[in-house]
Amino acid sequence: MDELLELEPGTVQPDDLLEGHGWSSLSVVGFMAFADEHFGVVVAPAKLTKCETANDLAALLDGKVS
Amino acid sequence: MAIKTITGVRIAGLATAVPEEKVNAASSGSRFGEEDAQKTARSIGVTERHVAASEVCSSDLCYTAATRLLEELDWSRDSIDTLIFVTQTPDYVLPATSCVLHARLGLGAGCGAFDVNQGCSGYVYGLWLAASLIAGGGSGRILLLVGDTVTKLTSPDDRSVAMLFGDAGTATALERTGDSAQMFYELGTDGSGSEHLIIPAGGFRQRHTQTTAVPIKGVDGNVRNAEQIRMNGGEIFAFTLAKVPRMVESVLQAANWQRDEVDSFVFHQANRFMLQHLMKKMQVSLDRTPMSLDQYGNTSSASIPLTMSHVLSERLRREEMKLLLAGFGVGLSWAGVALRCGPIVAPAVMYVGTEAANSSKR
Repeated sequence: MDELLELEPGTVQPDDLLEGHGWSSLSVVGFMAFADEHFGVVVAPAKLTKCETANDLAALLDGKVS
Repeated sequence: MAIKTITGVRIAGLATAVPEEKVNAASSGSRFGEEDAQKTARSIGVTERHVAASEVCSSDLCYTAATRLLEELDWSRDSIDTLIFVTQTPDYVLPATSCVLHARLGLGAGCGAFDVNQGCSGYVYGLWLAASLIAGGGSGRILLLVGDTVTKLTSPDDRSVAMLFGDAGTATALERTGDSAQMFYELGTDGSGSEHLIIPAGGFRQRHTQTTAVPIKGVDGNVRNAEQIRMNGGEIFAFTLAKVPRMVESVLQAANWQRDEVDSFVFHQANRFMLQHLMKKMQVSLDRTPMSLDQYGNTSSASIPLTMSHVLSERLRREEMKLLLAGFGVGLSWAGVALRCGPIVAPAVMYVGTEAANSSKR
């Protein structure tokens, strides 16, 4: 997460609001690329834009991968 | 999806013109903040873009490219029997801009002329259309003009598009040939995603009113009016991941080419992050993937021929190349082709000022 948002490692906490860390449409695309590359899944952008915290993102991936 | 194989058509030449006016990514710093602007520029890969002055239209850029191309080809104007103009930024609601260009270029009265409304996939669509007309006997020599001035349609306060787009116009000449070289095309459409890249108002579904010209803040937090481009980058990326690798694979198979036999993969210059991810996914090496995005931005329909002019023109003048071209985006629409091209007439990219504007415009 920190790498995606170009922040120092350990900056984003699981319950932090993403918006406060500069989350943007580019981050959405970045996260989709990450999910595709590491897990081979395409995350639905509509679901992704509803995510508010890093935890939400993880839950979304969990649902896709498992 | 079925491959369309077309035989007996060659590309004879290609020329590209862009506005000389350059806009640097750093200039967006005052609007979006230095740090954000830099971050965006790094991710999308656009350092500078060429932007048309208000009086310069897509047709003017294409006209400049076409004039140079015909001069170098030494084709008589009467030998061209079809003029196709692919654009989403025409001069008028009506008539078709191709008719205006037909007169400006001094083409013969026996030449058919029409416009095609396609964007990111438009160059490959234009090649497919022109090649099909020639192979089917419907035409002998075609002048294919492809260009857009998308910067006129973007909101300066919309960070999802404001730093991305540039303007360009191109001209490609195609003719019948006796040799048996083949082109392998695949095309596709998913109109259910049309809302993801759209200008909702100003057409005939929602006419221009005072309200449609008022900027408002969208759900994504960006400020734009209803007559400006609205792009959902995530949805475009998802569709690209789903369609483009498969299309590239099937076109390669049809041509019976291995990846390392292809001299260049020329992709629509969507944005650098997306393209790099696609290359990795498709196992296409970056050194076979010419880019023009850093200097010209995303130029919509013109991005593939602009990239060819910018990076490959010298080589195309000299020798035959195996090319794979792939366009994808607004529609949603996608199109790919594997073809052999060269040696052809291919001048370097031209830079034009406001003198290029049609002086006879009303």
